[in-house]
Amino acid sequence: MLSLDPRTKLFLGASAVVLVLFTESAMLHGIEAGLLFFSLWGTGMMRPWVRGLRLMGPMVILVFVITLVSFDLETALLLSLRLLNLLTVSFIFFRTMTPEEVGDGLRKLGIPYQFSFILTTSMRYVPLITRRIRLIMEAQTARGIDLRPRLRNAANFMALLTPLLVQSFLLAEELAMAMESRGFGLKGRSFRKAYRITAREYGLMLLSLAFLVAFLWWQRG
Amino acid sequence: MITLSDISYRYPGTTDGWALEGINLTIQDGEFVLICGGSGSGKSTLGYLFNGLIPHFFGGDFQGRAEVDGVDTRQTSVARLLPKVGLVLQNTDAHLFCSSVENELAFGLESLGFPAAEIEGKLRWIAEMLGIENFLDRPPQILSGGERRLVAIASVLCLNPSLLLLDEPFAHLDWEGMDRVKKVLIDLHRSGKTIVVIEQRIAGLIHHASRSIVMEQGKILCDGTIEQSLDVIRERRLLPSYPGKVQKVSKSGEPVIAIRNLSHDRDGRQILKDISLEVKRGEAVAIVGRNGSGKTTLIRHLNGLRRPGKGTVSVMGSALQRKSPLEMASLVGISFQNPNDQFFKNHVREELTAGLKALGKGGETLGEICDLFRLQDLLDRSPYRLSEGQKRRVALASIVAMDPRILVIDEPTVGQDGRFLEAIAGVITSLREKGYTVLLVTHDLEFAFATSDRWVVLHEGRKVGDGKPAALIKDRELIRMGALGTEAGWCLTGEEESGALP
Repeated sequence: MLSLDPRTKLFLGASAVVLVLFTESAMLHGIEAGLLFFSLWGTGMMRPWVRGLRLMGPMVILVFVITLVSFDLETALLLSLRLLNLLTVSFIFFRTMTPEEVGDGLRKLGIPYQFSFILTTSMRYVPLITRRIRLIMEAQTARGIDLRPRLRNAANFMALLTPLLVQSFLLAEELAMAMESRGFGLKGRSFRKAYRITAREYGLMLLSLAFLVAFLWWQRG
Repeated sequence: MITLSDISYRYPGTTDGWALEGINLTIQDGEFVLICGGSGSGKSTLGYLFNGLIPHFFGGDFQGRAEVDGVDTRQTSVARLLPKVGLVLQNTDAHLFCSSVENELAFGLESLGFPAAEIEGKLRWIAEMLGIENFLDRPPQILSGGERRLVAIASVLCLNPSLLLLDEPFAHLDWEGMDRVKKVLIDLHRSGKTIVVIEQRIAGLIHHASRSIVMEQGKILCDGTIEQSLDVIRERRLLPSYPGKVQKVSKSGEPVIAIRNLSHDRDGRQILKDISLEVKRGEAVAIVGRNGSGKTTLIRHLNGLRRPGKGTVSVMGSALQRKSPLEMASLVGISFQNPNDQFFKNHVREELTAGLKALGKGGETLGEICDLFRLQDLLDRSPYRLSEGQKRRVALASIVAMDPRILVIDEPTVGQDGRFLEAIAGVITSLREKGYTVLLVTHDLEFAFATSDRWVVLHEGRKVGDGKPAALIKDRELIRMGALGTEAGWCLTGEEESGALP
């Protein structure tokens, strides 16, 4: 699974997203969810996915409740399951691809290196920024500034935002300096990894495309 | 060879005063140069001249001439200088931007367009040379500070530059990390590289550098052998000389902190294991240990930012179990490592009272605190525009302003110069005289030795030592397991060592 060419992974990921987006019944979504569940379990990604639920769960439940109130149970199930499946597909996608693979895949598809670099590097800095947010919240809480998400604390949020923005700008400047010092902008860059899509992968892509088309056609008819 | 002639420089947007003024300097091939100076002395700025970041990246007002191997840096670009000057930035979070160590090493080679096969060979060779071949496939951010620094060094070394320039390579490192980096630098120098180190933690390198340059206010104050500049270094207090300890504070015997059998897990990993600890009123306790030994997790239990997995934590006789960190803020003040994490006001004055206001307290003692931390002249300035030492002083003062019974200071020495260390040691002494209980968390054993009368040694989440520092530093067992560094490794600045200098 991990030895696939990044372009193949991008293709498979995109087909899965299309499949989920165009699935029109709650029951089919239930089957998809079951399949996704099975592959999570089979690849040992269940634990991190459950941990990820802490973020995804409330969103899905919110969508369910809102649609249940405004429409009916069928629609509520459909929309919330679709969201859950979408989130799970992207979860699996990003777990099986390093940011660099995403970048390499995009580059191979003709997107300029500078853009794919910016994309992958910003992914790399997400955990760093998350950690920074936690440290700022701890530092402010320790001096009595309440940053818990409550309405009455709204005025306090400058205490989180200001340090975060200032430090992000500082980091951006240092990062620019590092990129400059390490030859980021040079023309004639070579690439260490050579990628080749194997015949098997072409087969896999063809198969998934055929399945997708067949599914959409069957659903319409 | 680097030649700087009559260089003056100021950053864009500044009109008053030069960041560098009248710099004349030649660095020959094969030298080992230490550039030191207090924070804000212009030592990093001087370094940016070497690889052309000034003027190409920063812009600004540049006078004079900088040459690298006879090439005027103004006529070339930072990238063209890559094979000559390798710069390792201070902040490894910025320097290392790839997702794995091997990609970091390959990045520069790819920039210069080396063929893939050659890249593979070079990066393995360099990785083995620096002893980082075992984690080539790991993301740099999960490595220890020392390992990250080695990866950053390797990432520029791959291009085989004749000069290696490092901006504060020891920042944030514990003694073990410092030792590894130091050994690599010494080996590289032996193999013929020119090494230039910009540092404030100079004690470790004094024996090895062949030349030292002392900077002050953008000028070269002194340039010569270590022996020649040592007097200047001492006189300018770039190496701290700590004041004597306070007379024994009478301990009333009542414990203000009591931790019993505390364990804490995070993501399935045990961070703290069965820690029991009592701190009495008026004590100054240093929690020492290597980076990652659990020190910061332990102190976060003192105000409820972390909850014990097992065991109990009580402060001033009452258990913390249900108290929120906000309720604890007036009891236990924790000053965290990075002052930038807490600044959000436009003036130092408001910053000092931000915590007080949140707690609904007045600021009766504010004048006294400003005197203690010498902040009177800074009150109307923006906290962001202060020097690193001043920032840390303001951050600490804002915690003391809330008048907590217990003061916890997290890594007070990181990124600070000798002058600041002396000042902060003095502040700790005064606070103890006022009856505060002080807990220090640090990997700087010299500082811990000078400011506390009891050490708690943490190692891999366990408490492995507790008692008088003088006895602990001689404990062979602790040193063998790596919980403490050898005295010779960290105590280089005392008077008795001066005779041993080269």
